[in-house]
Amino acid sequence: MATAEVLAPLEPSGSEPSGPRRGRLSPLARYLLVRLALLLPMVWVLVTMVFLLMRVIGDPIQAALGGRLTAEQIAERKAEAGLDRPILTQYWEYISGLFRGDFGTTLTDNRKVSDILVQNGAATLELAFWSLLVAFAIGIPLGRIAARYRDRVPDVLLRLFSILVYAAPVFFVGLLLKLAFTPFGWPSSGRASISNELILQDVHPKTNIMIVDAFLWGEPSIIWDVLQHAMLPAIALGLLTGGVFLRLVRVNLLQTLRMDYVTAARARGISERRVMNKHAFRNALVPVVTVMGLQIALLLGGAILTETTFEWKGLGYQLSEYLIKRDFLAVQGIVTLIALIVGAVSFFIDVIVAFVDPRVRF
Amino acid sequence: MRRLIPSVVTQSHGLQRFMLLLGFGLVGLFVFVAIFAPWLAPYDFNADRAGGVVFGTQQGPSADHWFGTTVGGTDVLSRVIYGARTAVEVIVLAVVLSGLIGVPLGLVSGYLGGWLDRILVLIMDALYAFPSLLLAIVVSIVVSGGNSGAVGGILAAALSITVVFVPQYYRVIRNATLSVKAEPYVDAAKVVGVRTPRILRKHIFSNVSSSLPVIGTLNASEAILTLAGLGFLGFGIEPSAAAEWGYDLNKALPDASSGIWWTGVFPGLAIVLIVLGATLVGESLNDILNPLLRTRGADTSEADQAEIEQEFAELEGTDASSLEAAGAPGPGLDAEKKVAALSLTDLAVTFRTDAGQVKAVNGISFDVAPGEVVAVVGESGSGKSVSSRAVLGLLPSSAEVTGSARLGTRELLGMRTGELRPIRGDQVSMVFQEPATALNPVYTVGWQIIEGLQAHQKISKKAARARAVELLELVGMPDPAERVDYYPHQLSGGQKQRVVIAMAIACDPDVIIADEPTTALDVTVQAAILELLLSLRDRLGTAIVLITHNMGVVADMADRVVVMYRGTIVEQAPSRQLFAAPKHPYTRALLDAVPHLGQADGPGLVDDNELVLKVDDLVVEFPGRFGQPAFRAVDHVSLEVRKGEVLGLVGESGSGKSTIGRTTVGLQQPTSGTIHVSGNQISGLSDRQLRPLRSRFGFVFQDPASSLNPRMSIGQCIAEPLHVQTEMTQAEIDAKVRSLLESVELGGAYAERFPHELSGGQRQRVSLARALSLDPDLLIADEPTSALDVSVQARVLELFTELQQRLQFACLFISHDLAVVDTLANRVAVMQHGKLVEIGPRDQVLGHPQEDYTRRLIAAVPVPDPDEQARRRAERGRLLTDIS
Repeated sequence: MATAEVLAPLEPSGSEPSGPRRGRLSPLARYLLVRLALLLPMVWVLVTMVFLLMRVIGDPIQAALGGRLTAEQIAERKAEAGLDRPILTQYWEYISGLFRGDFGTTLTDNRKVSDILVQNGAATLELAFWSLLVAFAIGIPLGRIAARYRDRVPDVLLRLFSILVYAAPVFFVGLLLKLAFTPFGWPSSGRASISNELILQDVHPKTNIMIVDAFLWGEPSIIWDVLQHAMLPAIALGLLTGGVFLRLVRVNLLQTLRMDYVTAARARGISERRVMNKHAFRNALVPVVTVMGLQIALLLGGAILTETTFEWKGLGYQLSEYLIKRDFLAVQGIVTLIALIVGAVSFFIDVIVAFVDPRVRF
Repeated sequence: MRRLIPSVVTQSHGLQRFMLLLGFGLVGLFVFVAIFAPWLAPYDFNADRAGGVVFGTQQGPSADHWFGTTVGGTDVLSRVIYGARTAVEVIVLAVVLSGLIGVPLGLVSGYLGGWLDRILVLIMDALYAFPSLLLAIVVSIVVSGGNSGAVGGILAAALSITVVFVPQYYRVIRNATLSVKAEPYVDAAKVVGVRTPRILRKHIFSNVSSSLPVIGTLNASEAILTLAGLGFLGFGIEPSAAAEWGYDLNKALPDASSGIWWTGVFPGLAIVLIVLGATLVGESLNDILNPLLRTRGADTSEADQAEIEQEFAELEGTDASSLEAAGAPGPGLDAEKKVAALSLTDLAVTFRTDAGQVKAVNGISFDVAPGEVVAVVGESGSGKSVSSRAVLGLLPSSAEVTGSARLGTRELLGMRTGELRPIRGDQVSMVFQEPATALNPVYTVGWQIIEGLQAHQKISKKAARARAVELLELVGMPDPAERVDYYPHQLSGGQKQRVVIAMAIACDPDVIIADEPTTALDVTVQAAILELLLSLRDRLGTAIVLITHNMGVVADMADRVVVMYRGTIVEQAPSRQLFAAPKHPYTRALLDAVPHLGQADGPGLVDDNELVLKVDDLVVEFPGRFGQPAFRAVDHVSLEVRKGEVLGLVGESGSGKSTIGRTTVGLQQPTSGTIHVSGNQISGLSDRQLRPLRSRFGFVFQDPASSLNPRMSIGQCIAEPLHVQTEMTQAEIDAKVRSLLESVELGGAYAERFPHELSGGQRQRVSLARALSLDPDLLIADEPTSALDVSVQARVLELFTELQQRLQFACLFISHDLAVVDTLANRVAVMQHGKLVEIGPRDQVLGHPQEDYTRRLIAAVPVPDPDEQARRRAERGRLLTDIS
């Protein structure tokens, strides 16, 4: 019998094809570099596309101020804004401006777009945070329940629910919420009562994130007021995203549940709860996180509608204001900004994926 | 679509069917309303008065205005009805436009690849990542400056939505194209010189298009929402030109705070219902058409079972009842029953499926004693795996298990999961076929071993970890203390299987059920793993149930053998007795069908014939990924094949043998070196230059399931090379197809059938007929029988040999199975790591190998004879290594 030889280590440890690779870069660093290398052209394409589209529309000054100024005044304003120069020169200005953090200046009220980011971006961030909270609270547990009771009553009801919240436009949900809550005097527009908003102007240091400012100020009634204001928009937008999360979690759980390693874990006598949590759910998270990253775009799109519905003065609200005013320089700046946010978020998601999936790390 | 709707409705059932019908109903309702809007609506959508009487603003629902009036004084019901018309027009236009643009782009981009693909992917990904509503707004400003009339407005809205959805079609179609492109049937078309447009149309689009209804309906719902969003923000259609729900909702928003509900609720509900309808249709289609979500059926097709059944019936003669008699355990086995570790009695498994009840296991009984290895053998569909899973309650809930399975004195069947759990992995454990999928990729192997230990024992984390290292050492893992922290993907296939075995023995189980434990492994690794299982049995006295289809493995391992056929035991006997004197005709046929290495009297040499294939100093490299060097798959290989000669090309996975085959027929470009076929150099030729030469060679692919286009009939599959390469008339082609089908022993009637109606063996015959349709000088056969059951394999090989003798084509026969090559090759070439290790006449290479690697390879092959195998095992000793 050759048992002795067989049980001895059979592979010379120096020549293993797998194992940790020894290179100048760790696999994680290489992965992140590759993702970044893929991301930069994408952001460039987006930013360039925005620039080109905005030039196709025609002359932004004419569009915004056409009725109000004389031909000479418009020509003057155009020269001032540099819009009479060759398009390549303008493009170069635009791109190099981006590297300096200069997104241009609005036409109608002469604000710097970067200031809009500081003032209104915080509001959008806050809305995104609250609605993600709602979305996770809805999507993950309900998705797990649906997968667990596949094709039985809870699953069918939850799937109908997820389709319904997806089918209802966020502004319609907003309208229904307003109808339901305003009779009780629940606030349904703005980020805080006007008096409180004025008080919070004086907070120091001011973060522009209302709830943080409220806590910094420290008065419970103001905190409660801010929370009340956030609730309806967060539910409206969170329901939409939560429905998508629910379906994502359900489908991916169902797919991992039929993997061999799940059967193998059961065959080892691992408890059903542990199989569900540690084996099925954890693995289902990998695709879920990736797709959730893409949903950020949905969330931002939804934020435009939600902010308009609830007069929540974020980036989307500001954008639709400028759209109505036909201030296309402002629109170009904000849209560019959103393109950069989308890029940054998808890189952030790649980092999270690396932590969830060891195959990426090693 | 006309055929699709009834077929998916019949495929669906229960709640799913309800959802599908509800979806169709809602969509149908809105389409109806859209078409007949002028007749259904009480007023025009813009009218604020009828017969001189003003409606009044914000009037509540009444007999005149069922849904009330808006802030602009128009009738809400009329606006909702006309809104359906706008919505349907925009959606149909948008879905058609985005499909027309996105589908061809995706097809071309996915199929051609290269820089065009990369640029398109970049642009589409950028568009896709961007908030779609924002994109639609920007586009709508570009198209129309924001507002426009009815026709222009609808077109503008549709175009804005199209830009948003083109990336989705593009992505789905491109991905589908990429996966279809890798299917062997596309390669098969390329090999015979089918031009790109025909491949895209006949082979790719027809298979990709099944996903279109799903994306189409799901996009329709998104399109409605985008349209409504545009309208809500004031970027849709000029309000005086058409009614639009989103616009109405915007106008209704201030009403909500003052309790006026009817202006907003009705248009909102309309949006919800139409999106609900379209989504229900799309989702149900997805559920029904998406194979990933379908409940898993039997692994083998009905045709496969029919084939084995026919084989069996022939053996049995007319007397099918003798089956039962042979199934009973023979006398003399009773003695072992007293000490059985695991004992099955009358175990039966029935699956409830949509097509009724399917009996998978039909009342089987056998025992395993401590320290004994019982092999359960059988072909596909014999129920051998199902019965083992039934023991541990691992079958899906659609399975009904009856009979008895006793572990020692405890009855396992009928136990609740809670009672079974402490037994699983502790007293009975399992080793799975595919170690790559049996380990969870996101945890380290140590974590997974520790988890199993802690599930059954009160043991501290530290102690469990020490025990994990100990177990890894026991199963022969090199550097166990380091590798305990490795993730599965960092280990080789053989090492992964060692981990799986380590987990199986972690709690000193009484019984290990090993389900095809070495089928996914190379032969040298298989030998090492089998050795390991035997040594563990010797040390720990575990009973082993070994499920396998490989008679060599049975002869190597088993003390006793249980032969299964279609859920029934046809024979069980001690291993030596079974191999020496099989009682049942099925067992005899099974054993006869197994090729036996070293016992074949294969063909001799044909050195005088003319040269057909000449491969000279061939190097094939694949470019490495970012920051990694190129991978050299074939490293300076030279070989030649003569007319009428079969060169067997053998090697383990990753040895480069298939790459040589693909390069020979121009599916892969060589990095350097030359290839001549019948005196023509074919390396370095463009597709166009190569096309006229393609009739010189044929190719048979490994996987019968995917080497024929599922959308083409058998006749069309075989005729394709004739259409492409010859000027024959349709009648001549039909005649040729019939004669080809007859030459592979299938009747002409098979021409009308589709691949899924055929068994694996029949499909390989069709592949062979297709490869031979142009009377090639050279045939490349890449593992043509490795996916087949042994009895089917034997027949296909027999047919192959006969055709090869008759037609005298040269053949490069690529295989991992030395015994198969031994039966039919004139000469044999052995490959390892891309290099040619040894080449020569068959009896020299396989009988008296000169190279160490060839010797190891041959020593590792288990032969189907227990006595001979025992001798081989003793001899091979130190030759064994875990090359994986």
